[in-house]
Amino acid sequence: MDAVDEFEFFLEKDWSDGLPVVTPTEARLVRMLSGTCRSPDELIGTVPPVRGRATVRSVAIHALMAGCKPEYLPVVLGGIALVLRDEFNLNGVQGTMHGVAPLMIVNGPYARKIGLHGGNGCFGPGFRANASIGRAIRLMLFNLGGAMPGAGSATIFATPLRYTACVTENSEHSPWESLSVSRGYSLEDDVITCAMVESPRLTFDDTNRDPQRLLTGIADSMSAMGSWNMHTRANMVVAMSPEHATLCVRAGMARADVHRRLCELAGRKVRDLKGGGNWRRERALALPIKVDPDDDECFIPAIKNPQDLHLIVAGGWGPCTAICHGWAGVSRSVHGIYEV
Amino acid sequence: MCSVHDTVEFEKRGIPATVIITEAFRKTADFQFRGKGMEGHPYVVLPHPVSSLTPEEMHTLTLPIVDAVANQLMG
Amino acid sequence: MANGLQFIDPTEPRSGNPVNSAARPADLAGKVLGLLDNRKEQADVILRTLADALRERYGVARVVVRHKEHHSKLAPDALLDEMAGEVDIAIAALGG
Repeated sequence: MDAVDEFEFFLEKDWSDGLPVVTPTEARLVRMLSGTCRSPDELIGTVPPVRGRATVRSVAIHALMAGCKPEYLPVVLGGIALVLRDEFNLNGVQGTMHGVAPLMIVNGPYARKIGLHGGNGCFGPGFRANASIGRAIRLMLFNLGGAMPGAGSATIFATPLRYTACVTENSEHSPWESLSVSRGYSLEDDVITCAMVESPRLTFDDTNRDPQRLLTGIADSMSAMGSWNMHTRANMVVAMSPEHATLCVRAGMARADVHRRLCELAGRKVRDLKGGGNWRRERALALPIKVDPDDDECFIPAIKNPQDLHLIVAGGWGPCTAICHGWAGVSRSVHGIYEV
Repeated sequence: MCSVHDTVEFEKRGIPATVIITEAFRKTADFQFRGKGMEGHPYVVLPHPVSSLTPEEMHTLTLPIVDAVANQLMG
Repeated sequence: MANGLQFIDPTEPRSGNPVNSAARPADLAGKVLGLLDNRKEQADVILRTLADALRERYGVARVVVRHKEHHSKLAPDALLDEMAGEVDIAIAALGG
């Protein structure tokens, strides 16, 4: 009998993400488990819809397959625990037609220690911690949860964020406190925030020095007719480059000011929404805020609850902000301290 | 999808049940019934999409599936 | 290593523990029909059409309608228990 080619073995699995994995051997698993003091038998939760068990051991197996170092394991354990929270509604997103993924935003000193990257190219390839931590989560959502496209998932396009979706802020060049500190965590807390979002779309502004004009442009990108943010309550991540954030600070705007202004500016009037996209009168009436779908001048905000806007500073120097639109299903973002 | 879960839960409680889905979710329904221990459980399929239909059009499109629904609920 | 492989295969089984189908009645005459509406657009129209036709053509006696919070959410056990206590047959819509 021919020896099994381990790479082909895993590449042919229905839960493969299309890329080779690090072959999970007992020796590699032992090494990966050295990244945590937790018992391998500890159950974190079950991954819907198939409800495969995410124990510390099975999480470690997926982390090593994804290419993680042992020191990344606490972040993977923290991330999978968060995405399994009821209010995050992972079950709904596993089967949806929409193309969203749980984006992990990791703040705190441990992120820096393990080399999570929040600067140049942070949403793209090239950074082992970002790539492998996010990939570990996705492999679990596929294997333990069964969310493969065409099988457990009816996703139309999926999203490149379904290869990996893990990032940190550019704390070195950010003029503001981090997302986690803005939420009341301390600088020393190791925190993960997860939001169910689409891939980032980029909005450029290399022209304006007036932050109101800058934020107006960003708000425009937050308010697309075809975005579910206009027609439901959904999360949104806005990642301002250090350049864009600094422009606001130089004009005297604190983080909270920018957050508030984006919530005010992002949106469209009924008359502009009715012309296309996902507009339905019934959807507007079902919103958790009071709107009048029969009043053309009624302004419908993209952000229905300020908690849904996750403002971060990330990326390299350059006049760009990245915006990730949210999901149409009911998913509340989650955040918490993870154990290192 | 969630409606497959709900259907299986009815069956577990002794209630014959079926689920109406649209064509685009056929593979997802098959997969999820299998994952929940009811491989091959029948369901009824409407053409996709339906979200842009008027209520009258939806009513007309639903009438032809009545017998299939009844047959799945009877022995 | 199991199966002669020199590595771990963490593939999750795809089939759940078998669940038996509920016994089906010979006909629907006199039965109480439960409709579980997940609030997806058109679910209400589809279920109402089915209910009316099943009453007229198959003699269904009574219809009980319940709504889920949202189509992306599972029906809570309490809701399923309540419906199971009241109905003889059930239809869920709209999947997907």
